[in-house]
Amino acid sequence: MSGYHPDEITLMDYSAGSLSLAQSLAVAVHLFMCGQCRGQLEQLNALGGTLLAQSDPQAVEVQGFDDFMDTLDAKPEPQITTKVQSRLYNPLQNLLPDSFDAIPWRKQTKDIAEYDLTKQLAGQGVRVALQKIRAGAKVPPHSHRGQETTVILSGGFSDELGVYHKGDFVTRDASHRHTPTALQNEDCICLTVLDAPIYFVSGFYRLLNPFMRW
Amino acid sequence: MAQTSVIRSKVRHMSAPGTRDQDTQKWVDLLHQVAHHRDREAFRQIYDHFAPRIKAYAMNQGVSQQADELVQEVMTSVWRSADKYADSLASVSTWIFTITRNQRIDLLRKAGRMQAEIKVETEELWQIPSEDNTVSSIQQLSAQRHLSKSISELPEEQMIAVKKVYYEGKTHQEVAAELNIPLGTLKGRLRLSMQKLRVMLEAKEL
Ligand SMILES: [Zn+2]
Repeated sequence: MSGYHPDEITLMDYSAGSLSLAQSLAVAVHLFMCGQCRGQLEQLNALGGTLLAQSDPQAVEVQGFDDFMDTLDAKPEPQITTKVQSRLYNPLQNLLPDSFDAIPWRKQTKDIAEYDLTKQLAGQGVRVALQKIRAGAKVPPHSHRGQETTVILSGGFSDELGVYHKGDFVTRDASHRHTPTALQNEDCICLTVLDAPIYFVSGFYRLLNPFMRW
Repeated sequence: MAQTSVIRSKVRHMSAPGTRDQDTQKWVDLLHQVAHHRDREAFRQIYDHFAPRIKAYAMNQGVSQQADELVQEVMTSVWRSADKYADSLASVSTWIFTITRNQRIDLLRKAGRMQAEIKVETEELWQIPSEDNTVSSIQQLSAQRHLSKSISELPEEQMIAVKKVYYEGKTHQEVAAELNIPLGTLKGRLRLSMQKLRVMLEAKEL
């Protein structure tokens, strides 16, 4: 059972669909491993359903129901009949080989290896990677310009602020300088999302954030 | 409006029709008619009710130009996936909300520049509630039905913050600027509102 979770505002943004894609991946991976947050998310989704139900209806201009159904009948049913998945899903599943051993890790130091997912996922200014830290090894002390989110997939690590295990969701912002050390006995593998160090304000945000672009 | 009564049972997947207000139950029944009998008249009622609200959502979210497209995508999913809906897991409006949110994200992703290499489907990042990925108990679900009342009981400044962030798809920075308050104050209001909603939901379960 996971001990460190996304805070409720992060979950709220995720539920609303306004969290960035990369951050949403981190949250989704945590949700896969955390029933407690899945429960909280259901409440937040219900908030969305309630707000939808309460909104002032706006006339749909393009077509009425009968036209809509004619169009629908003309469209072939897709082979996969629905986009609604039933099973609980690990969002990393399609990005990674079946086992962590089969990942083409790139060695950074003798203790740290990395597998970059940025190109497969993110927009500008965000970095997404898997990191593998050898059991018992220390990562050199560092701080970040932006926010760093880590979700532990295997093993665990500790730093000045706590001890973290599989499933934990850990965020560190620019004010933290930390020295993570992998726990003994097992390599630590985690998903790391490093956000844009740029602080977007107001209208510019929509122009600069690819997720909000129109 | 009829108030739902309290259920203490923790049995999952148990349908408990007597505990819902008529309106909630009406949509469940209509969606079941669609799922099991491909009932077009039932679907017409769902369409007539929800399509204009999905349109309102799209306009609030700043995707007005694609509003009708969003409505069509969502209603197509509702028609084709009605059999995936389980009334023990979410209300119809919550289920439709999650589909709408995901279709909006899909539209945004298609419009962006990053679609070519994306290997994670929106549905994998934001799961639609279904039998195997949901932990709701009947209790939680009954509590969720009080949400509309609970939201109206929030202090106005908190309600506005929640609606802007949650429903208008704005960033915290944008909302704080609009309300002319510091970012920290906005986050404080959001946290307080979530606490209040939780307390109100729990109080109603007793
Ligand atoms: Zn959690």
